Amino acid sequence: MGANSVSSSEPETLYIQHFNEESRPLAFYLQKMGGYAAAKKAFAMTPDSIIEEVKKANLRGRGGAGFPTGMKWSFIPKQSPKPKYLVCNADESEPGTFKDRDIMRYTPHVLIEGMIIGAYAFGANNGYIYIRGEYVREAKLLNEAIDEAYKAGYLGKNILGSGFNFDLTVHRGAGAYICGEETGLLNSLEGKRGEPRVKPPFPAISGAFGGPTAVNNVETLAAVPHIINRGGEWFSKLGKIEKSGGTRLFCVSGHVKKPGLYEFNAGSVTLRELIYDHCHGILGDKKLKAVIPGGSSAPVLTADEIDVVLDIEPLMKIGSMLGSCGIMVVSEDTCVVQLLARITKFYAHESCGQCTPCREGCKWMEDVIERIEHGHGREQDLALLLDIADNINGKTLCALGDAAAGPVMSFVKKFRADFEAHIRGGKCPNA
Amino acid sequence: MPKCIIDGREAEFAPGQNLIEVAKTVGVEIPYFCYHPGLSVVAQCRMCTVEIEKMPKLQTACSTAATEGMVVKTRSARAIQNQKSVMEFLLINHPLDCPICDKAGECDLQDESFAYGSPYSRYTEERRTYLDLDMGPVIKKNMNRCIHCTRCIRFGTEVAGIHEMVAVQRGNNTEITTIDGRPLETDYAGNYADVCPTGSLTLKDFRFKKRAWFLKKTSTVCEGCAKGCNMELHQDGNVIYRSLPRENMEINKYWLCDEGRFNFHYVHDQRRVLNPAIASASGLQMTDWKAGIAAAKAALAGRKVAILAGSDLTLEEAKLLLEVAPKQFGGAPVFHFGTPGIKTVLDDAPADKILKRKSKTSNLNGVEKLGIKPYAGLPAGIDAVLVVRGGRAQLPTDLDQAKSLVGIGVFNQPQVAKFAAVLPGASFAEKDGTIVNYEGREQKIKRAINPIGKSKLLPEILMMWVNQ
Repeated sequence: MGANSVSSSEPETLYIQHFNEESRPLAFYLQKMGGYAAAKKAFAMTPDSIIEEVKKANLRGRGGAGFPTGMKWSFIPKQSPKPKYLVCNADESEPGTFKDRDIMRYTPHVLIEGMIIGAYAFGANNGYIYIRGEYVREAKLLNEAIDEAYKAGYLGKNILGSGFNFDLTVHRGAGAYICGEETGLLNSLEGKRGEPRVKPPFPAISGAFGGPTAVNNVETLAAVPHIINRGGEWFSKLGKIEKSGGTRLFCVSGHVKKPGLYEFNAGSVTLRELIYDHCHGILGDKKLKAVIPGGSSAPVLTADEIDVVLDIEPLMKIGSMLGSCGIMVVSEDTCVVQLLARITKFYAHESCGQCTPCREGCKWMEDVIERIEHGHGREQDLALLLDIADNINGKTLCALGDAAAGPVMSFVKKFRADFEAHIRGGKCPNA
Repeated sequence: MPKCIIDGREAEFAPGQNLIEVAKTVGVEIPYFCYHPGLSVVAQCRMCTVEIEKMPKLQTACSTAATEGMVVKTRSARAIQNQKSVMEFLLINHPLDCPICDKAGECDLQDESFAYGSPYSRYTEERRTYLDLDMGPVIKKNMNRCIHCTRCIRFGTEVAGIHEMVAVQRGNNTEITTIDGRPLETDYAGNYADVCPTGSLTLKDFRFKKRAWFLKKTSTVCEGCAKGCNMELHQDGNVIYRSLPRENMEINKYWLCDEGRFNFHYVHDQRRVLNPAIASASGLQMTDWKAGIAAAKAALAGRKVAILAGSDLTLEEAKLLLEVAPKQFGGAPVFHFGTPGIKTVLDDAPADKILKRKSKTSNLNGVEKLGIKPYAGLPAGIDAVLVVRGGRAQLPTDLDQAKSLVGIGVFNQPQVAKFAAVLPGASFAEKDGTIVNYEGREQKIKRAINPIGKSKLLPEILMMWVNQ
């Protein structure tokens, strides 16, 4: 998986072409990748014009929600009695997602430079990279890169003579999915339980330690140096669809012949092209059963629904979501009931337990689906499942409830026959 | 004032007021569990979700401030559906053991379930259970009943100033407990039971004593210290079963300390002197009122008497003493006593950062305002003392120096072993009156029960004294 999966049809990629061991050191970044030129350029610009450039770039958050990055930064108040913070969300906890890991592993300095520019743009002097606990190696590599950057004067006091100070710290998570939710992340960063906060106030007003905070995904921040170097308009035009600029990293896993990380211009590829052209089709040339297009929380698509352009709006239109671009391909000999049981178990396990519908409902759904999978389902269980999911969806404190409800509703609706076969036959028909 | 519309009713609000509070002002009840006006807002239980025009999602009323022109529907089809579903979620793992639960009858979960829930359950899986935990002498925990509202955690950190209640584990296995399972440390622990909207945290003191619906409630004021916290006394059959804080935003807000909460127990103390008693060779001997008063009079006759008035007496009682002292007790001087080391209101100060004061009697300020001087040892020439007190003022240790001692009021047997006569009086729960707290606020205490045993109110006792 990973670095060798460069798409040959594209002459240039922003990320993937550098995904190899030799790109990592600062020396390589400076000599071969034009490293820290963007930071220099940014220091010559006004903070507002940097935000303007990012807005022009149509850069949308790559963590899953797709919120326009420039807009997010513009919400941070100019004057604040409390310190402002830039937090990089490197928790990458959505199952099926593995793009940020390679950015941090192979090109940590791109991320660091992106954070310096972002922090300068809205006036933060402190930054954190909240990295998931399992990324032990990446945390170590990031720390080494940060040390390099400090030594070379790219971090710390008076960066490149600009008068701007920026300190960057890597904070390792302890392995909770919910700490990928931005306010859960901030609580965890502050040393509290990883529980999402009530919004409003949004982090832009009161985030880390009560100060105005922007929380951005790794891939998002790593796009910023490119935008400053080559202009927002250039970046925007990389996108082949309205409202989305730049390129996107797709993490393809599951039953394809060539899984891995792929990079395409935003909106330039359909799901069918990705699976059959770039990933060389389904393993063993079996039939396609289902695709989860945006990490395990995205509602599932059937084999008939894959002629969809992979971007935020097209997927939303057919009732799913692009999310974090974690594409999981499922072939015909997979039991979708078992698959849903596993996904739901994950969300029940990862629910923080704060709010009622998610705490009680996710476990209830897990129990019912597991019962069905083991052949103890009842006819009324499917209606019950849909009802529980509906009672969770959109009614929880954070988006985890939606993430758990979406798969249940889509699996039961789209693969109802499989569920009914389990209930009526008392076992998995494929077993 | 700005206005919004709640269920078709126009409601005025102060900027920043949340929808639950605004709705209350126009008679609309929005159900909630995790919200508490005295604690921070966490919007966790999701019970208070309402529909607001121009907002696609349902919003939690507790965390939504009213804005000008906002149109809120608390009983729309979607809001009702959500109330039903939250009730269902809260009850699927609840043991539904109301028949043996102390909270039944005054339980938020029970009440809201009755009002908003469904009488049927669709849950057929095994219910979640937890192991028991001893949380010390005040609170009994039953985690199976918990709905994870976290009010207790927030009360600890935000009001009691101690982070001892925590959530451990997560998701469906979340357990609300103390850090490392240690016993509770705060001396405000009783409030944990008050804020709990279910029967998971109940008072050990009240456990299995009485059904809540049998209790008659009297609004009164705590006599535990000079703060004057407002409280309710709950009684049935002339027996007090508990006291609960009563909201007064200017004094104690919603809270009560454990000392004040459990102070009432002396009223029903086995050792309390409930009959007139006179000294005999074998110790104090019970007698009737006539003999008691005769013995008391005899003990003081021909002696130089001083009157010691507890600063736990009401203003009315203290005033009465001052009136009868010149004629009936030969102009005996009157002094007040109450808390060792606290002679005047100037010595009184906060004893902690929450409610407690150093003066452990309720009316120090009042008796001082009547001109009564603090007791500072027996004056020269005095050889007899008449002690008049409620149940709270601490007896001076040097009373033995007097040749003759007579007590009127609330005493227990060890306290009066050397007394010549004791006439049983009324405690704060058995009388009406006025007390003045540390800041000069006059408050009424109310009689919750009739004087128990043979005890009588002070005016009655003095009347008998005068007429006999």
